[in-house]
Order: sequence, then C-alpha cells, then structure tokens
Amino acid sequence: MSEWWTYTLSDFLMFSPRVYLRLIERYNEKIWPLQIVFTVCTLAVLPFAMKRSRFGAVAGFLLLAAAWILSGWQFLWERYATINWAVSYFAAAFMVQAALLVLFALREAGTDASPPTSRMASYGGAAIALSGLLVFPSLTLIHGRPIATAESFGAMPDPTAITTFGLLLVSWRRSFWLLLPIPILWCLFSTLTLWSLEEPGATLPLAAAIITAALLLLRSGERRAAL
Amino acid sequence: MTLKRRTVIKGLAAAAWLPLLPGPAGAQAAPILTRPIPSSGEPLPLVGLGTWITFNVGNDSELQDECAAVMSAFFDGGGRMIDSSPMYGSSQPTIGYGLRMLNYPDSLFSAEKVWVSNPAHGDGQIDRSLAYWGLPKFDLLQVHNLLSWEEHLPRLFEMKEAGALRYVGITTSEGRRHRDIERVMAEHPVDFVQITYNILDRDVEERILPLAQERGIAVIVNRPFRQGSLIRQIEDEALPDWLPETGATNWAQFLLKFIVSHPAVTCVIPATTSVEHVRENLDAARGALPDEALRRRMIDYVEAL
Repeated sequence: MSEWWTYTLSDFLMFSPRVYLRLIERYNEKIWPLQIVFTVCTLAVLPFAMKRSRFGAVAGFLLLAAAWILSGWQFLWERYATINWAVSYFAAAFMVQAALLVLFALREAGTDASPPTSRMASYGGAAIALSGLLVFPSLTLIHGRPIATAESFGAMPDPTAITTFGLLLVSWRRSFWLLLPIPILWCLFSTLTLWSLEEPGATLPLAAAIITAALLLLRSGERRAAL
Repeated sequence: MTLKRRTVIKGLAAAAWLPLLPGPAGAQAAPILTRPIPSSGEPLPLVGLGTWITFNVGNDSELQDECAAVMSAFFDGGGRMIDSSPMYGSSQPTIGYGLRMLNYPDSLFSAEKVWVSNPAHGDGQIDRSLAYWGLPKFDLLQVHNLLSWEEHLPRLFEMKEAGALRYVGITTSEGRRHRDIERVMAEHPVDFVQITYNILDRDVEERILPLAQERGIAVIVNRPFRQGSLIRQIEDEALPDWLPETGATNWAQFLLKFIVSHPAVTCVIPATTSVEHVRENLDAARGALPDEALRRRMIDYVEAL
C-alpha cells in the first residue's frame, strides 16, 4: 500500500453503521433462539470448568467449537462478508479455531486430572467469561438500542472470542496458548472496525484480550514464585 | 412480484420528490448541464452517482430497494454516470439489482474499475463485475487507485480496441500518488482520470486539472464532500447572503457547483442513500455556474468558517 501514512481507520470502513446494525438484527431474528441455548449451556458448564472436572473441560471446549463454527460460518461468511470482504479470511480462521477446540476437547477427554490453576486466573477467567456471556449482550440495552441488535455468545464473534478467553483461563494448561492467536487477532480487528464506526464499547474486545494476557503473565509469575 | 417491486421503487422515488415540487403543476426543471468527454465529444451530465459505502448494503432487500429508488430518481433527473468498484463490497450487485428493477435505462453510463494486484486475475474480475451489473460491456473501466496499472492499462486499451469497452481511465483519491497519475496522463492515451477535488482539497488545480485540459482527458471528481465530513462540518453555518449568485440553494449544491464550475471537470460523483439528496445533487448541474471571481469568493467564505 503506497503512501500508507496518509490512510486513517475510516478509509478502510466500507459500510455504514446503519447497514451493520440491520445485518445483526436480521441475523439474530434468523437464528433465534440459538443465542439463549448457547448462553444457558455455557453458564451451566462454567462451574464445572472452574472445578477443573473432565466434563467441564470437554463440554466447554465443544461448546466453544460450536460457537466458533456458528459465528464464523453463519455470521462472518454468510452475512458480514457481503459488506466487508476482509472478513471472509477471518471466517476461514474461525473454522481453524473450531477444529483446534475439537482436538483439545478430545485430548481433555483422555486426560485424568487437571492440575490446579491459580485462583486469580480462575476467578479472573470466570469474570471474563461472564462478561462475554452476559455483559456484552447487555451493552445494546445500555446504549438504548433494540434488543434485536444484541451481540451474544455463539451467535456473534466478539462475545464468542471474549468467552473463549474466559473459559481458557479457567481451565488453563500451557498448551492452550495455541488457542489464543485467532481470538486475539479477531479482537484487534473488531476493535479497530468498531472504533471507526464510532460504536460504543469498541474497545471491549481488545481490552478482554489484554486482560487475558495480563492474567496469564501474573499466573506465570505466581508459579515461578511458588517453585 | 417483480412488477410490484418496481412500482414500489418508482413510488419511493416519486414520494421523496413530491415535497420539493414548487406547486401543484410542478414546474419543468431546467435542463441538466453537460460537458463533453474530450476524446469523443459525447456529452456527460456534470453530476453522476458514486456508490462507495452507500450502496454496500449486503443482501438487505429493504436497503436494496432504497438504493434502487435513489437510482430511479437519478435517472429521472437526467443523471447518467454510476461509478463503482470491486472494492466496494456489495455495491456492484446492488447496482445490478437497481438496474434490473429499472429495466436498464438507455441513458446509463457505466463506470467500473479493475482492482486486483495480480494482472492475471484482471479479466476474471471484470467478468464478475459485468455479471453483477448485468451488462455485456462497460462504458468506462478504470484502474483503481493505480493498482498494478502498468499491467492493467495495456489490457484495458486492448479491450477498447476490440470494442469490449468504450473508455479507459485511472483513479486515485485523497491526493495520493499524484506524480504517478501525472505520468500516466502524460504518457498514456487515457480517456478519463478520477481524482479527489473539493473546495478545501484543491491540490489538483496546480498540475492535474491543467494537464487534463492540455491532454484532452475527462476528469471525474470523487469525495466532493470528504465522505460527508465536509457537509457535517459546515451544515450548521450560515449560508452566504450572495448564495443566489452561485445558483445553489443549500450547502451541498454550493460545494458541488464549486467543483463542476472548474472547466476541466467533466463529472462529480457524490454518493447518497437519499432520494431527496440525489435530486438536490443533480440540481447542482442546472442553472448558473460560478465564474472565476465567484469561485474565489466561495473558497474564502468556506475557509473563513
């Protein structure tokens, strides 16, 4: 890209906020009530994941895989990519993330016991997961928008990525870092897009990624101090 | 079903126009001003229709109908040139939808672009663009933002020679790569150049517009309102007392009349989703145009705001 320094974020914005919100609204209507199913199931699995049970880990990963498939295929590929061609690459990345999650679910199913994680990572992860499951969808009401434009886990990429951070932290193992790059890249892309749309809550996806990274660093520090 | 939809689109366009009519009889609008394409002499209305952002509505049928209503009002008002690009998301299929609804108006002047870095993919992209529009050939194909222009331009000239295309052009925006644009204009027989020009961004007055006049190249002007930000910046300011001298009745027309009053400009392509606005934009190409002294006064007024 020549003269790249002359470009601003808004130069890459190729659709209007109105079109984007109508896209979400029509999509939510089409897949209803999957939003509730995903949210309730994940809320039910969260305590098991915090107890680090095998069921919690396997069910959590499988729910996450289903969420990445639905949001990547039905929202990104089928809908969002029609107004933003760059998103089609992310749709493929979402399928890769789903495949990785299924592989990790299979591995967890064959593992006996999970090593204990730090309380800070566990509670911090639960807070991040709950913010993806409950807070993020509520933003639409806080900002006085119709509930039909709410972004929920499983249906939409942002809360799916945020909830993924939370569940990974809750049941963290060292190898889980493989599951972080795609959600982090998405959160960066999403924050930049929402920022240029002047959307309220634009910084939340990136903030969730940064907090996750910070909690992992703190957890790592705790473990080194304990040795 | 199709007929009903067409009726609705025509109705949408007409309903938005009704409040603007001066009286029950509806006075005849002044003829739209044109300027000839230098390489052919074909007259082109001074105001066209851009589609960046505004026509990228995905598969939303309600918004597709709104865009079709804008196109209907545009053609009814005497407009001809619609400009798009493969870069503009779903704008191309939206144009195709509107054209089908309107039975492909004879007056259409189709302006498209080729935008792909690998020259081997240029033909395929042009074929897809034609399919989206539903046309056998384009009037004008431009190399978008000079991307791989050394490879694409010869191919476009070949297509023109073979009758698969009427005009060849090249584009840039927001003042980027003007040296390259000048080089293309000086060394290649392009029919059109598309650049950014508005009352605050006037760099092209120095070299590119004079060069276009000298070389007989038509000029399309994009971003006349700085993607809407210029209008938002000044819309609450008072219009000058001497506004009637410009022939404008509002800020949008004030800004457009400034652009099209430059003798090197062939066509400006504002984008909109509003039937009312497309009619206002077209009206900027009717009646009086500012002379050089008035253009200077317009610049001074806006810069002082």
